[in-house]
Amino acid sequence: MSFLEITDLHVSVEGKEILKGIDLSVDMGRTAIIFGPNGSGKSTLMGAISGLPGYEITQGSITFKGQDISGLSVDERSRLGIGLSFQYPPAIKGVRLRTLLETLSRKTPEKIMEYAQLLNLSGYLDRDINVGFSGGERKRSEVLQLMMQMPDLLLLDEPESGVDIENISVIADGLRIILEKDQPISKRKRSAIIITHTGFILDYIKADIAFVIMNGHVLGCGAPGEIFEEIRRDGYSKCSSCFAEKFCEEYKGAL
Amino acid sequence: MNTVQIDTGRLSEIGYDSCVASCGNFMVLDHTVMESHCNIEGLVVLPLKQAFDAYPHVREKLFFNVVPRDSSDTTLQAAEKEPVGYYIFVEPGVRIEEPLQAAFLFGETGSRQFIHNIIELGEGAELNVVNGCTTATHDRSGTHVGITETYLGKNAHLGYTMIHNWGHAMEVFPVGAVSVGEGARYISNYVGMTEVRKIATNPIAHVASGGSARFYSVIFSKGDSYFDTGARVILKGKDASGEIISRVVSEGGTVISRQLLSGEHAGTFGHMECSGLLLNENGVIHSIPELRGAHPDINLAHEAAVGKISREELSYLMTRGLNEEQARALIIRGFLDIKIEGLPEKVQSFMDEIISRSIEGSI
Repeated sequence: MSFLEITDLHVSVEGKEILKGIDLSVDMGRTAIIFGPNGSGKSTLMGAISGLPGYEITQGSITFKGQDISGLSVDERSRLGIGLSFQYPPAIKGVRLRTLLETLSRKTPEKIMEYAQLLNLSGYLDRDINVGFSGGERKRSEVLQLMMQMPDLLLLDEPESGVDIENISVIADGLRIILEKDQPISKRKRSAIIITHTGFILDYIKADIAFVIMNGHVLGCGAPGEIFEEIRRDGYSKCSSCFAEKFCEEYKGAL
Repeated sequence: MNTVQIDTGRLSEIGYDSCVASCGNFMVLDHTVMESHCNIEGLVVLPLKQAFDAYPHVREKLFFNVVPRDSSDTTLQAAEKEPVGYYIFVEPGVRIEEPLQAAFLFGETGSRQFIHNIIELGEGAELNVVNGCTTATHDRSGTHVGITETYLGKNAHLGYTMIHNWGHAMEVFPVGAVSVGEGARYISNYVGMTEVRKIATNPIAHVASGGSARFYSVIFSKGDSYFDTGARVILKGKDASGEIISRVVSEGGTVISRQLLSGEHAGTFGHMECSGLLLNENGVIHSIPELRGAHPDINLAHEAAVGKISREELSYLMTRGLNEEQARALIIRGFLDIKIEGLPEKVQSFMDEIISRSIEGSI
């Protein structure tokens, strides 16, 4: 069984079915990319995996580390090793970033400062979480928090949206540490699912597999670079038939 | 001789500990001054009655001056009593870093305690006072009236912190007024974290040119508590400024939070922020911010909000592995976390400790 195994997943939001039978799996140490147009259900998939309220699983299952996590609360899933980087993280007035980081981790103040410096956030530790942060600062703050958690499965919802090119590189530096990208693939223990619109993140984080989601279904999967090229060339609508011709199992077998 | 047994834990809960370094101590139990020490040259700490004899101007010019004798029934009643309380004076130019600690204990169930304090700072003097008010044990019932008149000379600075730790059967009526001299700074911190039958207080600061008055209050209302609290800053001189920041968390009872900023002279400016957090449906927070302008060249603003903890914020913290209880505590702690510029670290740490303890005991 895969590290994360999603089978026939149907998810509704406010009574409307968004995911209509998703099958998807990610192995330990692998990074998966999810492409899809606006409204295709990508963020809903992240919400359902992480257990955020409002995402109702009506059918199917999500298995992580061999355990069906569908019935677990959001914090239970987090403690099991799932970490989420929000597309639009909220601001929390009064709660300092440093306080949260210290609450999340037993890392020393020196280590916290080292990671904060890596993400150009050392001057933000005593500010309230995300209050007055720019889009890029929020995304870097998300990665810094995840570096405290060091989750086994990283869910990144548009980590590069609203971030300039220079800062995408900074974010990627943090993500590579979490994902042990300096290790041979066979030794990596942490996995990731990354949602991306622009594909810029692919220039910095090597992904192993890409899935395309449209209208609540997985349309196909394959080599990330190849699929991204097709989307860039032909768009999602024209490309729907070519994705369908790529069978995930075949691709995964060749990995 | 007062024979009431004092629970020493109650004293430490209001920060009064004779082992802690301070520039002076003052303690009253019911109507008896139990301690009155002063450890620094240039600082006077005396029971008010003694000060009347030693410093005639105290009775003649400071006693029932900035708080008028006839300002309320409470003050009229207090005026008929023999004054019990402190007189604190800091000589001009003397700056004192260690806080002065004062405690007012209520021990005699069913009685009415009347306290009258006067603080006077000479030109350029600086002082921090930490006042703690508590009952000798949690179950005492009665009434406490505490009048505090404060006079700050030119460019003086006073940090005045009040910690209330009353029992659930107490009714409390603090009356405070401050005369802030030219260029002087007054900072008031009020912390009320325990259940109380009733607290009614609405201190006032009259601020002269270039002076500033800042009032910060943190209230955690529980059970059937009734708080009618506030602050008024009257900006009377050119470039006088004021700030009032109030944070109220309610898990029960009623909190009325009244604030007034009044700009009466050119160049005055002030800011007010009143925020309330309702943890359930058992409590009421009634926030009444008022701005009054009496000159066109002023700048006064306020923001006010009453609401509940955002579900989105809770979920966000829970995705980091905190359970709901931990996430709520973190948000409430942050909501009540007012970092006050100019407050000694020691006083700030103590306030932080009280607030954390109260949250842990509640959530």
